[in-house]
Amino acid sequence: MTFRLHRALAVSWKEALDLRKNPGLLASMLALPAVLVLVPTGVVWAWLRHPDEISFRAMALFYEPNLPRAVDPVRFMIDKLVVDWFGIFLLMPVFVPILISSQSVAGEKERRTLEPLLASPVSASELVLGKSLASVVPAVVITWLSFAAFVGAVDAVAWPVVHAPVLPNGMWLFGVGLVAPLFAFLGNGLAVLVSARVGEARLAQQLSALVVLPLMGLVGGQLAGWIRAGTGYYAVLGLVVLVLDVVLVWASVRLFDRERLVSRWS
Amino acid sequence: MSRIEVRSLSKQFGARSAVEGLDFEVGEGEVFGLLGPNGAGKTTTVRMLTGLLRPSSGGATVCGVPLDGDGEALRSRVGLLTEQPGLYDRLTARENLRFFLKLHHRDTAEAWDSARRWMQRFGLAGREDEPCGTFSKGMRQKLALIRALLHEPQALFLDEPTSGLDPESARSVREAVGELAAGGRTVVLCSHNMAEVERLCGRIAVVKGRLLAVGTVPELRRQTGVVEIHVEGTAGAAGEALGSLVPPCVWVAERHSLRVTLAGGVSIPDVVALLAQARVRIHAVLPAQRALEDVYLELTRGAETEAT
Repeated sequence: MTFRLHRALAVSWKEALDLRKNPGLLASMLALPAVLVLVPTGVVWAWLRHPDEISFRAMALFYEPNLPRAVDPVRFMIDKLVVDWFGIFLLMPVFVPILISSQSVAGEKERRTLEPLLASPVSASELVLGKSLASVVPAVVITWLSFAAFVGAVDAVAWPVVHAPVLPNGMWLFGVGLVAPLFAFLGNGLAVLVSARVGEARLAQQLSALVVLPLMGLVGGQLAGWIRAGTGYYAVLGLVVLVLDVVLVWASVRLFDRERLVSRWS
Repeated sequence: MSRIEVRSLSKQFGARSAVEGLDFEVGEGEVFGLLGPNGAGKTTTVRMLTGLLRPSSGGATVCGVPLDGDGEALRSRVGLLTEQPGLYDRLTARENLRFFLKLHHRDTAEAWDSARRWMQRFGLAGREDEPCGTFSKGMRQKLALIRALLHEPQALFLDEPTSGLDPESARSVREAVGELAAGGRTVVLCSHNMAEVERLCGRIAVVKGRLLAVGTVPELRRQTGVVEIHVEGTAGAAGEALGSLVPPCVWVAERHSLRVTLAGGVSIPDVVALLAQARVRIHAVLPAQRALEDVYLELTRGAETEAT
């Protein structure tokens, strides 16, 4: 079957319209970025209210026992926080597409709109691309805007003490620019895959959201000092996710089989 | 010329057979009724003919496209009104229609003129920019019908098109169906509304997993084999003479008229001969004038009896 971009874009257009008119979903989508920007900014602000060097050096030595005396432990801890925080920040590009795609795919079944849609000339790959664009693009845009807000907020709070910009740094630019979109595809792919198998948007959301557990585990490893995060670490993570993305796209297109969807859900 | 040709069309879901060996043809400009009880395979048949389900065996050609051929071409030539309107509630009527026009690559001024005419006709003018979630069931049904028509399909499959409509709206939909057929569109109508089917459909197929009968309403009446025999004297006494028929036939007597349901293998001459032998004077033998509903029930009950 011929792939027609105009049909994939039509699906995206419809999804975007539907999203704009869903205030509940929009609120859920914006709550997470707000938390992910405000929490680390608040931590930096709280630290810098009483920048007691002895405590900071103790904390810094836990993570870096060979920390040279010349290194400012306050700056070290702030850098350590923002590097580790990127692992948490990645929840955003994963979670936002899960919210959108669960609604857009399983929601079609719930609202009984699936059969007329599948009776149109749209192909499985056009549907998957259209729905994916409608969830990945907002997720990436929100991630980038949140990153800009995070940079502004952290630098504003840290400047009086460190007298230099903390962000953006190379790792964050690499991570937000390349790794975050890959994670957005991961969240979307999982949600599409799960939504194609279950009949309710809420169940699809709950099951897809389980993907955050391994991510939380990795962040836990960073905080415990077992994993040293950095550009290389996030690059490897990005490569693993890229492979998962390819597998998920392939599986999603296969699962978007008219026969299967119509006979199970219409 | 046939626009839909169905040959030995069958569908199985696992071990369960939903449709078995359907054979029928539907011509250009014909309104064809698909009748059958719930679970008889009507929806499955329509889903196969609109490219949503693959047949397990047999096949069909719809608008010149075989079911195992180009699915995209098939779906762009047919229109489907499903039992549930399936509209996007948060989107307005205009946005719902525009989405499907975009999918059909027909988001043009001409298509919108046509949409406006249909909306005017179905009493939806002025409601274009309201969310569909605020529409009544009837309005939703009419909008779904417009959606099925907008890409100008050659064949339309309508599942209960007047379900939930008030009498005036139902009439406007029926008139529209008639006009579409007069304009050369093929319409396949699934309905439980016998009066509607009888009024609109040139031919009817009665299905119950398999094809029980197909033909015009008079042909179906003949196929079910009920004759009305006008006799001299009391019809009840004449009916007693039919007791020796094998297989036995059900008869109902009313004053001078005897309604006989012919069981398999029994023909009208057999009945007439038996009555003549019993010295019953026959004035007339006529095919019974029965409502389509009676014919339908007889066919479907007959199929049940055969199955048991």
